[in-house]
Amino acid sequence: MTAVAPAPAPPSGSPPPPSGSADMAAQVARRVLYFAISRGPLVVFAALLVYLSLESEFFLEWRNIKSILRQSAPDAILASGLAVVVMAGGDDVVVGGIDISIPAAATMGVGLIADQLVGGTPLFWAYLLGALAILGVGVVNAFLVVYVKLTPLLATLATLVASVGMYKWAINNRRITVLENDFVNEVRDGDFLGLPIPALITLGTLVLVGGIAHRTRFGIRMQAVGGNRSAAEIAGLRPGGYVAASFILASFCGVIASIVLISRGSGISPGIEERLLVDMVLATFVGAAFSPRRVVTVPGAVAGAILVKALGNGFQLIQVDLFQIGMIKGVLILVVVASSALVGRLRQ
Amino acid sequence: MSGRAFGLTFLSRYGFLVVFLGFFIFFATQSDAFLNTSNLVNILEGNTILLVAALGMTLVVASGGIDLSIGIAIDFGGWLAIVAMMDHDVAWPLAIVVGVIVGAAVGAFNSFLIVWLGVSPFLATLGTFFIGGSIQQIYTSGGGQVPFRQMPTGYQELATGETWGIPNEILIGAVVLFVFYVLLERSIYGKRIHAIGLQPSAAAVAGINVRAYLWMTFVVASATASVGGIISTAGLRQFTPLAGFSYLLDAIAAVFIGASMHPQQRPNVGGTLVGVLFLGMVSNGLNLMGLDFNFRDALEGLVLVGAIALAVSQRRLPGRVGSPA
Repeated sequence: MTAVAPAPAPPSGSPPPPSGSADMAAQVARRVLYFAISRGPLVVFAALLVYLSLESEFFLEWRNIKSILRQSAPDAILASGLAVVVMAGGDDVVVGGIDISIPAAATMGVGLIADQLVGGTPLFWAYLLGALAILGVGVVNAFLVVYVKLTPLLATLATLVASVGMYKWAINNRRITVLENDFVNEVRDGDFLGLPIPALITLGTLVLVGGIAHRTRFGIRMQAVGGNRSAAEIAGLRPGGYVAASFILASFCGVIASIVLISRGSGISPGIEERLLVDMVLATFVGAAFSPRRVVTVPGAVAGAILVKALGNGFQLIQVDLFQIGMIKGVLILVVVASSALVGRLRQ
Repeated sequence: MSGRAFGLTFLSRYGFLVVFLGFFIFFATQSDAFLNTSNLVNILEGNTILLVAALGMTLVVASGGIDLSIGIAIDFGGWLAIVAMMDHDVAWPLAIVVGVIVGAAVGAFNSFLIVWLGVSPFLATLGTFFIGGSIQQIYTSGGGQVPFRQMPTGYQELATGETWGIPNEILIGAVVLFVFYVLLERSIYGKRIHAIGLQPSAAAVAGINVRAYLWMTFVVASATASVGGIISTAGLRQFTPLAGFSYLLDAIAAVFIGASMHPQQRPNVGGTLVGVLFLGMVSNGLNLMGLDFNFRDALEGLVLVGAIALAVSQRRLPGRVGSPA
């Protein structure tokens, strides 16, 4: 692309070379402003957490923190997967990388596992079946995006609708309760080394998926493809393979999430995928606030999921109306993204 | 051009129409009721709200954005129109104006975030989505319906009445369709929107006031979607909070199906119409086949995946105008 960008107009009050004390003051003021805006989201988050802990003694109790970690696990794991797809496809949502089918695929897996467990299938085979179904969605996404060349949004929208339809049909759109399954219960209630098992699974996902995406040669190349596809291609990379891998890695996150989800819900309640979808997207993009360059990262996505749950939990503890929590989430997104947009403008 | 090459060109460009026709014939053979005039009218009538929402979305996607808050504009438009009549005794034609203005205000909020603050459309409209949903829950005690049984007949007939023997819903849909066709496909305004969507910096260099056009785009899209909400409340004689969300994914699907038919894969009004009709037809046809409710949903999803993949993969056929290298 050889777009002719208009020369950016110098921002009002842009610092000339420091010569006098007035200029120095202006520059210092600018620095302070830049710092305030660039650290704005983190400052807002920190202030909210402090406020909540002052208002409710229970908020920072270990028991409550454990419950936040437990509740945020599915969102954190799903958001890790979405982060990988966004990193490989670029963050333009209309034509770039996005995978809105992960929560639906994971829910489909949960439905199949629950159905099989209740039907008496041994644990291993039930979970394997679920995992294969979820990975199947990832493969279809990769095929549709890389080979058929559908925009990721449309491709994953189509597989989302298909996954939801298929699992509702498979389990007749009913609640299935998995009772007295030791493994399911252990993942739900168990602790290991003092940490809830879902939190450890989240940590494991972070290390594995985050490690692949941020610490391996493959991951760095994948980010190069997402950052500038034509440059990556000229440098000799084959973008298709990396994009395909990102969708499969995302569905792998769906597999892990399904293990946590079936335990959290002691089975399946059809329809959980909708809430998971919005929370996954929210966590992933709020997580960008944690990265120095304001980009989507795996650790950021995990932190975003925990943060969003912590705030929701805190506001519930101080008895904020449940209906207002959506408002808080909306304002959160806007604080994060508006500040990163302003940072971009200040940098010019 | 040889016959074979012509055939391939035709198929690559109109592949989706062939798929569409195939399904149409299939459903006609599966159910006697499908081809009844009343059923076909039903398909048109039942998808007016989706059509107007999808047209708004077409405009936004053509400008290079996306609007996840289209459902909020649908909800607010219908809701505030009803509230105006119920609680403030506003005459029904004026209530429609109120609804559309409220819809436009939702769009203006998006524009503020996107154009003024520089937030990406996806995240800005996602924020609007959360905030708008929360406002509805707060004021309806968690999503309780707002019934309006003594609705003025004039308002109610927007959805249930007929003019010259044609259902009003279809007429409204046709008018909005025509306006969008002229706006996006036949006017300089539309050319500029497409230019902005393709290459914003080039459009700016060419002297287009990109910011003003983007402002307009989101406002017009939301105002249009609110018309859908008004029709919905008129038909149901009540407002159901958060109901607009159900149109979001279908509207996106319709726009992208339509874009897949365009030589340069651009969103376009005619394509969106075909997309909406396809979604409506598949849903209606599967329904008439008397399949199990859950199985139908599953099949609908698979048809969507298959049909889109098939239509788009025809791009790879030789002879496609503007086919990607």
